[in-house]
Amino acid sequence: MSQPHHAVKVWDLPVRLFHWVLVALFAFMFFSGKMKGNWMEWHMYSGYMILALVLFRVLWGFAGSTYARFSSFLAGPGACIAFMKKLLSKSPTHVPGHNPLGGWMVLVLLLVLLAQAGTGLFANDDISIEGPLYKFVSKDWSDQLTSFHYYNFYVLLALAAIHVAAVVFHVFVKKENLVSAMVTGIKKLDPSTEVPAVRFVSSWRALGLFVLALVAVILIVKRPF
Amino acid sequence: MKNKILLAAVAFAIGAGASFQAAAQAKPEQLVKQRQSAMALIGWYFGPIGAMMRGDRPFDAAVVARNAGYLEVLSHMPSEGFQPATKDEKTKAKPEIWSDKAKFDKAMETMQGEISKLAQVAKGGDMGAIKTQFGATGKSCAGCHDDFRMK
Repeated sequence: MSQPHHAVKVWDLPVRLFHWVLVALFAFMFFSGKMKGNWMEWHMYSGYMILALVLFRVLWGFAGSTYARFSSFLAGPGACIAFMKKLLSKSPTHVPGHNPLGGWMVLVLLLVLLAQAGTGLFANDDISIEGPLYKFVSKDWSDQLTSFHYYNFYVLLALAAIHVAAVVFHVFVKKENLVSAMVTGIKKLDPSTEVPAVRFVSSWRALGLFVLALVAVILIVKRPF
Repeated sequence: MKNKILLAAVAFAIGAGASFQAAAQAKPEQLVKQRQSAMALIGWYFGPIGAMMRGDRPFDAAVVARNAGYLEVLSHMPSEGFQPATKDEKTKAKPEIWSDKAKFDKAMETMQGEISKLAQVAKGGDMGAIKTQFGATGKSCAGCHDDFRMK
């Protein structure tokens, strides 16, 4: 921690808000899914919110600030292997945005979350509640998707555990505080790290895209056509 | 009121009588059919209460009270079909039902108790109270679905 560093803002507000709201909702989904009973009603609302957030994040991956864009963090196999070698050595692994492995993790997490929220829409609990799109599929299909929804949660949980473990590794072994960076948006980078110009997009655009995503979800959920 | 008690008594008597016969000679597939039919009916009468509690359809106290009354009787039926003879049938029933019978029976009793309370509360017609008890009842259903039913 003693080495000199320079502080660079890399995460825009929408990325940070997305991240922490998702963490809170994820915890709530776990809780409400286990509690059952009347919590299931809120489990559904929370699921719609997660769906909207994930859709927003995909849009933001194309139209957001520099380090929010998929093009900035989905690296090729060569870069990934080089990064893994660096990871195991003593050399610092500072990168301004997502590192090559973390970048792919973002994509995987988004896809698995999308699958989780998507199957939830068709699910039924065989007790008293069904997803809003249950009526469009047969009971058999709904049961299959419910089963997927159940097991996929454990996939999600495992991915979240890997994600947290990787962050802990970076914080304690590599001495990079990724957690504070995700809170403040500012990364403390090694002076040797090259930081290309970061272009920040207005948060208003993010708000617009989020509203768009939310309206899309409400249309899917409440106005079945 | 008297009619309902009579009805319940008759249903119980028929059920009990049938179970004496059934237990003696029922084939595994009949037992499975018995419990699945009972479960289907429970779902049939429980589901609409949930829809009303969530506001997906208008609250109708009379329908809730009627359904809850049916459920009170129905809730005692499925356990009868869960007999060891059925353990090789292809269903979603987990083997733990037989290996941890005490826990299974306890979960069944809890569900019956909650449904019984639901039937009581439903007579009052107070939506808030019904909703609370509805949640507790749903949770008690999950008591078996979580641990004794394949996903």
